[in-house]
Amino acid sequence: MEQRTESNRDRSIVGTRIRRQRRELGISQTELARRVGISASYMNLIEWNKRQIAGSLLRKIAESLDLDLAELDGAAENRLFDALNEIAHLPSLAPLDIEDNQTGELIGRFPGWARGIAALARSEQEATSLAQTLSDRLSNDPFLGETVHRMLTRIAAVRSAAEILTEYKDTTAEERERFYAIIDEESRVLSDVGEALAAYLDKVDEPNRTLTPLDEVEALFDVNANRFEDIETAASAFSQSLTDPHTVSRQSMARAMVDEHLQPVIAATIAQHVQIIETSTARVRAQRALIDYAVGAILMPLPAFQHQAELLKYDVEALADAFSVDIDAVCQRLTALPASISTPRFGYYRANAAGALIKQVGLDSLSIPRYAPACPLWVLYRAQQSPEAVIRQRAIFPSGERFVFVARARNTGPTGFGKPRQYVTDMIAMPENDARHTVYAPDPTALVEEVGPSCRLCPRPNCVHRVEDPLAD
Amino acid sequence: MKKRILLAEDEPNIVESLRFLLERAGFDLSVENNGHKALAAALDGSFDLLILDVMLPGIDGYEILRQLRADRSVHDMPVLMLTAKGQREDRERAMDGGVDVFMTKPFANAEIVSAVRELAQRTKP
Repeated sequence: MEQRTESNRDRSIVGTRIRRQRRELGISQTELARRVGISASYMNLIEWNKRQIAGSLLRKIAESLDLDLAELDGAAENRLFDALNEIAHLPSLAPLDIEDNQTGELIGRFPGWARGIAALARSEQEATSLAQTLSDRLSNDPFLGETVHRMLTRIAAVRSAAEILTEYKDTTAEERERFYAIIDEESRVLSDVGEALAAYLDKVDEPNRTLTPLDEVEALFDVNANRFEDIETAASAFSQSLTDPHTVSRQSMARAMVDEHLQPVIAATIAQHVQIIETSTARVRAQRALIDYAVGAILMPLPAFQHQAELLKYDVEALADAFSVDIDAVCQRLTALPASISTPRFGYYRANAAGALIKQVGLDSLSIPRYAPACPLWVLYRAQQSPEAVIRQRAIFPSGERFVFVARARNTGPTGFGKPRQYVTDMIAMPENDARHTVYAPDPTALVEEVGPSCRLCPRPNCVHRVEDPLAD
Repeated sequence: MKKRILLAEDEPNIVESLRFLLERAGFDLSVENNGHKALAAALDGSFDLLILDVMLPGIDGYEILRQLRADRSVHDMPVLMLTAKGQREDRERAMDGGVDVFMTKPFANAEIVSAVRELAQRTKP
């Protein structure tokens, strides 16, 4: 329950943060109130923590004060709190009796130390994963296995020929020439194999590389705020030539346009991010993801999409009809909408039937644990019980944050009598305050479901779906 | 009468060295560079000893060994396995399959010649 107290504490100092930043910028309370469109007396109440605020007003104030929203609303602290709690309960640190009831105190009093500990733990975790990856590679990597085999074979030929030359004094000139030639030939091949091996190991050993190709592609979208302006510009030229109303042919026409005209801009985008997209597998995946992105950009040009989205109140199905596209394309496109006060922030998640998260785009405030199973109460995992139906969930997290989740499971395999269905679930998530602008705005009396990030990070004591003990009791 | 050795090996330069060494040591050497041909030659019963590489085109050394050991007429032919795959599990697999000597590449010439001599003595003159 410590976690909830902490986030309340964070929320209660939002006003203090606003006041401090406003003074630092030399803006008067009245001026700030005017900029965000509220009365000076209301601003005074906010600054003295007498009124709690969230949603668009908080965002407006953050923008006016040039502050990161996460910094202002305590989301960053909440994440730090979760991270430190996880560290406090690492089995390897159990003998240290870490004072886990003092986590909030640590963050409040020594924020720098707290961030430092979390950063160290993160880099330790990354180093461990890297070591594991390298160890797996050494024992299972087919390239390494094959290369070592080739090297040993070449060395065997060189050694045997060299021994013959030194140990048999009665060899003929012809034999000697033959064995010298073998040594010469094999040592050249050997040095090529050695060089290839060195280059390969060099690549494996590169510091700071993200671990999986999927991570690399996610990072690519992340640093670009899910939007690629060059691709948008290039795609907009082709949008108008799409006149066919049928979904399938529109999609295949858009795909053909991308293949024919947009490959260079996609390649250039990947080339601009060599620090992120390092491996060849990631390049292939990034190319695939950007092709999908470009197809979406042609089918749903951003200005028109933005307009329709506002008009249709971000109704995913209505947008799919309006643009004759599939729902997953709309979900992805929603995350690319430029941020504004009246535009809801969307995250897009896709899970397979095994519950594995196979896509994750956007929405910083909603963190899904990367190394642990997520909460099974999310509609993302429930939607496959009612395939093809759009299901809304009003979710409240232990921190008190509320989100609206909208999920729909669709068949991805071939259809036909007796054929097994292979469902994946697409889900968009938005903060509940943002949902006001959408068709998914929940009725104030609608059921709010208590969910969590994952069992380990969730303090709810009586949850019957718990599979692991919570870190914070 | 010279002892006849079948060498199943696809690396021409290693074949070249072994041919020199074993012919100098008084053996009669035949070479096959792929798995199918090597198996057929081994099964025809005219050899006293088999030197067998593991990684061969066609059928690998383990399969040749298995078929050889299952064949009534040649099941007791001495086999020296010579391979660059020298990890513990490779060695165990070879020994379980019934090789007489397991030797890894790179090898010392003197060592392989003496192992072949010793194995050849096990067979009838």
